[in-house]
Amino acid sequence: MLQMNNVSKVYQTEMVQTHALRDFNLQVNEGEFIAVTGPSGSGKTTFLNIAGMLEPFNEGEYLLDGVNVGSLNDNQRADLRNQKIGFIFQGFNLIPDLNLYENIEVPLRYRGIKANERKRRIEQCLEQVGLASRAKHLPQQLSGGQQQRVAIARALAGEPRFLLADEPTGNLDSLMARQVMELLEQINRDGATIVMVTHDSELARRAPRNIQVVDGQLADFTLYQGAQTIKTASGV
Amino acid sequence: MFIHYLDLSWRSFKRTPLVSFLMVLAIAIGIGITMTSLSVYHMMSADPIPEKSSQLYSVQLQTMDDGSTWWTEDNMPLQLTYQDAENLLNAPTSEKKVAMMRTGFSVYLDSDKIKPFIGSARMTTPDFFSMFDLSFLYGGAWSKEQENSAAPVVVITQEINDKLFAGKNSVGELIYLDDASYQVAGVINHWPLNIKYYDLNNGAFNQVEELFMPFSLIKAKELVSWGNSNGWKHENTPTFADKLQSEQVWIQFWAELNTLEQKQAYQNYLLAYMQEQQKRGRFNRKELEYKLRDVNQWMQYNNVVTEDNKILVGLSFMFLGVCLANILGLLLAKFLRRAPEVGVRRALGASKRQIFLQHLVEVAMLGFIGGMLGIVLAQLGLMGVGQSYDYYENLATMDLTMLLSAPLIAITTCILAGLYPAWLVCKTNPAIYLKSQ
Amino acid sequence: MLEIKPIFNALCRSKVGAVLLLIQIAITTAIVSNAAFIIQDRISYLNQETGYPEQDIFKFNVMTFGTDINLSQQFELDESMLRKMPGVVDAALSSSIPLSGSGSASSFNLKPAPQEGLSVRAAYIFIDDHAINTYGVNLIAGRNFTEDEVLVTNEITQKRTNVTIVTKALLDELYPDGDGLGKIVYFGDLPLKVIGVIGKMKGPWLKDSKPDNFAFIPYIKAESYTQVAVRTEPGQRATVMKEIENAMLANYSKRVINNIKGLDELKNEYTAQDRLMMRMLIVLITILVLITALGIFGLTLFNISKRTKQIGTRRALGARKSAIVSYFLVENALICSLGLALGVVTAILLGKMLMQYFSVAALPPSYIAVTAIAVLLMSLLAVLAPAKRAANISPSIATRTI
Repeated sequence: MLQMNNVSKVYQTEMVQTHALRDFNLQVNEGEFIAVTGPSGSGKTTFLNIAGMLEPFNEGEYLLDGVNVGSLNDNQRADLRNQKIGFIFQGFNLIPDLNLYENIEVPLRYRGIKANERKRRIEQCLEQVGLASRAKHLPQQLSGGQQQRVAIARALAGEPRFLLADEPTGNLDSLMARQVMELLEQINRDGATIVMVTHDSELARRAPRNIQVVDGQLADFTLYQGAQTIKTASGV
Repeated sequence: MFIHYLDLSWRSFKRTPLVSFLMVLAIAIGIGITMTSLSVYHMMSADPIPEKSSQLYSVQLQTMDDGSTWWTEDNMPLQLTYQDAENLLNAPTSEKKVAMMRTGFSVYLDSDKIKPFIGSARMTTPDFFSMFDLSFLYGGAWSKEQENSAAPVVVITQEINDKLFAGKNSVGELIYLDDASYQVAGVINHWPLNIKYYDLNNGAFNQVEELFMPFSLIKAKELVSWGNSNGWKHENTPTFADKLQSEQVWIQFWAELNTLEQKQAYQNYLLAYMQEQQKRGRFNRKELEYKLRDVNQWMQYNNVVTEDNKILVGLSFMFLGVCLANILGLLLAKFLRRAPEVGVRRALGASKRQIFLQHLVEVAMLGFIGGMLGIVLAQLGLMGVGQSYDYYENLATMDLTMLLSAPLIAITTCILAGLYPAWLVCKTNPAIYLKSQ
Repeated sequence: MLEIKPIFNALCRSKVGAVLLLIQIAITTAIVSNAAFIIQDRISYLNQETGYPEQDIFKFNVMTFGTDINLSQQFELDESMLRKMPGVVDAALSSSIPLSGSGSASSFNLKPAPQEGLSVRAAYIFIDDHAINTYGVNLIAGRNFTEDEVLVTNEITQKRTNVTIVTKALLDELYPDGDGLGKIVYFGDLPLKVIGVIGKMKGPWLKDSKPDNFAFIPYIKAESYTQVAVRTEPGQRATVMKEIENAMLANYSKRVINNIKGLDELKNEYTAQDRLMMRMLIVLITILVLITALGIFGLTLFNISKRTKQIGTRRALGARKSAIVSYFLVENALICSLGLALGVVTAILLGKMLMQYFSVAALPPSYIAVTAIAVLLMSLLAVLAPAKRAANISPSIATRTI
């Protein structure tokens, strides 16, 4: 459902050109849980931003659910993002002025969903992450792990088929990190496709499929799981 | 979504109360200052009789010999001589016309109840009331016959009627003016006039007269003008009859010309009149000149809106410009600091347009609050203006137009100021704000 | 001062904020310098010497409706009554009142009309031999009218006035060599001998092109509507003004006394618009300077909060507090001087525009210079407080992640 063919991204500063991604090729299938690892500055986040249509790319082709992203304008990209993609960030990125309920409401409002339907979904998502009783709290009243669960709830509220997570456990201690990871695995079992960037190899190992980005290219597959995955990967 | 944006704006307002307050204050002060000077300007330049202002014409004749000069921009005397006024009045033309002059009398009754007081009077012809849209509470204007026979009749204002007759219908009653008695023919309703456009001699914001009487009484009672009498050549006028025959100008003259044809006909008549007078040795000029100015042209020609007012309005708008730059700077700071949040919203599917609108709603709200506060400040300013000058009391108010335009100008100003910051914040690349700092 | 280059570079990177401040400073300079000039112009206009002890003089109107008296005789009775009133120095019928904005003017000529000759416009009043004392003006040469020279009439007679007392300004214009005393000037075709000269005495219109040209003509024409001027002992005016109506009506009752007003009050009414303009401009520039100062204050505050970490780092790397303060002062001074340069140009343009479209005189450069210095000082002052706050940022900030 996600396919990148020879995607390149160049950052142009005054003096230097930096190739963040070079001829990047990847195919992600429906229902996969992929962990992306790689050294700092290798292009992991750039890959994720492009996958989430937050950044344009210079060359190549990117198909999301068969739609050629390169041919979309900003509004179409925003709509597509809103409907198909959920984001989870290392810094949680909850909006500090809004309480939990309102934070989760943000993507639903942009989708133009009616108030009672919004309410149903938000309550369901809060239930799912175990924070139903704290809907009126502000983000700063919660612990880091709780905040990240709210962020996940927010990502889930729009019922996206794609979840992009950038170091979702980076700011959490190991216990909380494990809880968050378990939540992600649960979500994956429920049918969502997840791409997770992490530098924690232990967490990465829990994902069925691992890929590594080095110098802006897909360097290696580390195969821990069954043959089916290997087959798919080698088909790229 | 608009309500939601308003809600967000209000939260944002509360989150940075100091900056928000500064912005609201800047716009309020800008609006307050601008509205104060603009209101006075608006009241001064407002059309005093909008439904008829283009049909009422002030008549000017160039009576001076070639070579003489006047202080007006077109070198024309502002008023007419008595003889010209009388001749134009008696002309066999069909339009409504009025000759008039301001004077005054001591006013008293045949009893000791009312202390004698001085009342200002307009000596005029009966068409005055219908031409300038005055309405009667009791009675009506004097008749043509009474006008022609210099009958001792008077029309009084509602205020004078209250004072002398306790507001009762006084038609037919007698009042004493100087040394004679006059019969009340009518009582006019209160006539609220900010600009005394029909006679600007004693100042544009002077009050209207309290008594209205036949023009023919000027000759009969030898009444002198309380306005300006000007001459352009030396004339000895020892008697009143001499003055009536002199070239001194001291009579105001207006004609109501409802159609272009009527105006053209009247212009032809004026030319013919001057040619006729030339035969008697008057209008010693190569080119005969007359001017017909409608109410608004007349006010402009007489500089009713003073230079000071125009300068103030100009400076006020420059001031508003400074406030705008000020707000723009603060908005820029405020919005850019919010870039990370915008990044999150973009990641969650907000389009640029939605982000842009959200921020415009926010600045519009600031403008609205600032505009409202600005109206309060403008009222304070106008109170100050009103107190500084008696005549300004009626002018130093905000009418509905001004009250509505205050928030409108404020919101427009704020949106202008907010366009750039809102555009900047909506086009920032969301990706760079999403990584944990 | 070594830091100018990096500061300038930093400024270039955040141009918009700097440009906005620059525009504010420029417009402020333009408005303030021009407004200050107009204000100064009005102040000197309002405070000009009129030649009268304005606080001690008042006037009132008399409108007589009774017909059973001889007006001339009645006015003589009134005058002698007024002159005897306690607190009154002198009183006189005056055909119009100086400084009041209403009066008469004519041309005074060296040749009788209709002959052509040097002709000077001047205001005049008809008044008797009490004029100088009533108005408290200063006779610098010649003499006062004698009682015989005053023509008192309410009839047309063949007798004519033949003397006048004029201001030095009027006489010098008619006789530029300064030898006008004792010579003849023509009021229309009426020859008047100049018997006295008054040093300074403003006419009815302060805004007149010749406000100092003024003449007394000894002539009393008793009319049913007339004005009377009264001078009182200093401090007595209010008391006399209160009594005047009753005193006049006690003398003769079939008349109305009104418009009892001090000379200073008349002048204030005449100059109301100018005072209003002056006050509005003062309010305008005061608030304008405050708003601009607040703008600078706010922007500096914002810049500091944006650079908190940077400042902490600088402090950690050994920058002194004074270095931080001077950084912000220099930064502000840079923007401000650019703004002032633009402001000077704008001020000159605005001044030119005002001169072109309105009767405002040319803006003297000194006003721009003083305004520029004042705005610079104001802006430095506005920066000082936030800059000091910045200097107090702890170096440990740099080591924490925000």
